[in-house]
Amino acid sequence: MRPDADPAPQRIMVVRCPPLCDPEASPAGPQAARLFERVIGAVTGFCPNVEAAELGVCAFGVRGPARYFGGEAVLASKIIAAVAEVGVESRIGVADGMFAALLAARRAEPIDPVNPAGPADPGGPADPGGPADPGGPAGPAGPAGAVLVIPPGGTAGFLAAQPVSVLADQDLAGLLKRLGLLTLGDLAGLPASDVASRFGDAGEVVHRLARGLDLRPLAACPPAHDLSVAREFDPPEPLAEPVVFAAKTLAEQLHAGLAARGLTCVRVQVRATWADGEESSRLWRHDGLLTAAGVADRVRWQLDGWRAAPADGQYAQGGIGMLRLVPDQVVRATGHQLALWGEAVVSDRVARAAMRVQAMLGHEAVLRPVTGGGRNVSEQVSHVPFGEKREPRLAAGPPWPGRIAGAAPGVVYPVAREAEVTDDAGRLVTVTGRCVLSAAPARLVIGREPPRRITAWAGPWPLAERWWDAAAARRRARFQLATDDGRAWLTVVQDSRWLIEAGYW
Amino acid sequence: MLPALPALRDLLPRGGLARGSVLAVPEFGLLCLALAAGASAAGAWCGIAGVPEAGLVAAVGAGLDAERTLLVPDPGPAWPQVVASLLDGCELVLLRPPATVPVQARRRLEAVLRRAGGVLLVAGDWPGAQVRLRVITQRWTGLGDGHGRVRACCAEVTADGRGEAALTRTRWLWLPAEDGGVTLADPVDIPVPGTAVTRTSPRLRAASAG
Repeated sequence: MRPDADPAPQRIMVVRCPPLCDPEASPAGPQAARLFERVIGAVTGFCPNVEAAELGVCAFGVRGPARYFGGEAVLASKIIAAVAEVGVESRIGVADGMFAALLAARRAEPIDPVNPAGPADPGGPADPGGPADPGGPAGPAGPAGAVLVIPPGGTAGFLAAQPVSVLADQDLAGLLKRLGLLTLGDLAGLPASDVASRFGDAGEVVHRLARGLDLRPLAACPPAHDLSVAREFDPPEPLAEPVVFAAKTLAEQLHAGLAARGLTCVRVQVRATWADGEESSRLWRHDGLLTAAGVADRVRWQLDGWRAAPADGQYAQGGIGMLRLVPDQVVRATGHQLALWGEAVVSDRVARAAMRVQAMLGHEAVLRPVTGGGRNVSEQVSHVPFGEKREPRLAAGPPWPGRIAGAAPGVVYPVAREAEVTDDAGRLVTVTGRCVLSAAPARLVIGREPPRRITAWAGPWPLAERWWDAAAARRRARFQLATDDGRAWLTVVQDSRWLIEAGYW
Repeated sequence: MLPALPALRDLLPRGGLARGSVLAVPEFGLLCLALAAGASAAGAWCGIAGVPEAGLVAAVGAGLDAERTLLVPDPGPAWPQVVASLLDGCELVLLRPPATVPVQARRRLEAVLRRAGGVLLVAGDWPGAQVRLRVITQRWTGLGDGHGRVRACCAEVTADGRGEAALTRTRWLWLPAEDGGVTLADPVDIPVPGTAVTRTSPRLRAASAG
């Protein structure tokens, strides 16, 4: 926990339209969404990077626009007027950080024209931050608006006065109230480590919020332009080659459209609509690093995966009617050249090969192994789909008592195989709860294979895992067996059954 | 030529895995992983197709670099295309093909292999293989009669094949040695067939239950 290391949150302006936020209010469903589109359009006139937080609420970083329009309050009143022209009432909050700005927008009350000295009550009389003067009555006519500007640096004070019930997590808010923490200030006064150890992740999150820190940076969303590109094929194109050729031109258009706005996309979605109406859609990682030919390659791989018989090259769905490229997760182009796949070790050649196989068999079909920790041999290697971050499921760091030391098996069965281990008299060898063997193991039979004579063995090594969790608990006794064919086996007895987990050969 | 682990060099023609060639091992096991490990340790990318039970911990112990390994556990019925794609990206592909491989698919893969300059390591039967390797005998040390644990394996490996590999060569190897690596076995250490497997080799401490 290094709270001091956090950068101060950005100045955020939140525009909230109460009539659109309330599900019970008059414009419902699609109509509200259309109205909100127009609201965002109006706000985009002042700042292009507007993030829609939810229906009826949008936000943007206010520093630049405020300087241009002559102050936050002036900008707010201009926006209220613009939104009022659309026919929607709006409230605006400005503060350091998204959470505080959202709260400020919710607390902003219309100014009483009779008594302009009595501004909005931002959250109880004990508010030390105090609302700034909203800069005169906003909007000359039409639906009224209201502004609450928390001055820079005053956010902590503003938040401290808010009741804990403003938190989205109502269960946690109720608990905090019962513990005597009535305001966010009470919560923020506690050491972060104590809150985190008592309430876990959720506690850490609300503690960050209460201190006025941001959870995440504002994701800049593109202006209302549709940046996707499409090409229709009439009649439907039965062959892959012309479609791939068209995809190259489309990708050039897409890149030009993004570059003209200084944007780039994290992923590109390739959507192919077939003549029979079926749609094939897949997201490809882009990171702004793919060339037009690279995008065309991915289109080809995706279409190849759908081709029924490679011999005649015809599609079972009757050809492709429409190809559309949609940029996904559009972000500002920073000019950073990140290593593709996040790791320098994967060369483009390997990435192409792996992704071609993924296009044929699916994302989860190409895996990269990561060795980690774990008590059982099958747990010690995690398999991560190609293109995702390589992290072991179980960390190698902590000691894993009960882990089998010695040589590692060359064969590790993903699903343990059934077997039978008998003693000299042919009776099944059993293990009691106290790890007492009924007899020395003498013979190993696996499926229909001929029985193997056991020449040496060791065990049982008991392993009781997850005894605290009735569903996942298992008690096993493990053995190593060497057989007369020169092989060795790692077997376990669980619920009186013998299973083979791994083979040494 | 892709490099092989030093202990395996005597078994291979010209001491390595010739690019564009097929090596066959009748059954998947540590020998396959050891053959791949040498190339991987030298920086080659390895693809492993059709072997969901590959013991990666043992392979890493022998020298395989997990960073540069791609696994396709189930390549499905289109496995020749999958392997051909893998060969475009990986220098070495370890493949366990289905029981019967159509001659056409085999020829096509061999052509891809020659063009891409990779090495195909087959765990199974492959009639055109340039080199065939096989474990004739193996003995695990460290296990006793109710005590000890599996520690190392002394294996006799033989290699033959076509052309320059036609001469049959046989070597005793620690596959794996106690540290997980692959080394040539000292004649002193080689367990004599017929003696008890529990015979403690001079390298080993007395086995104790763990």
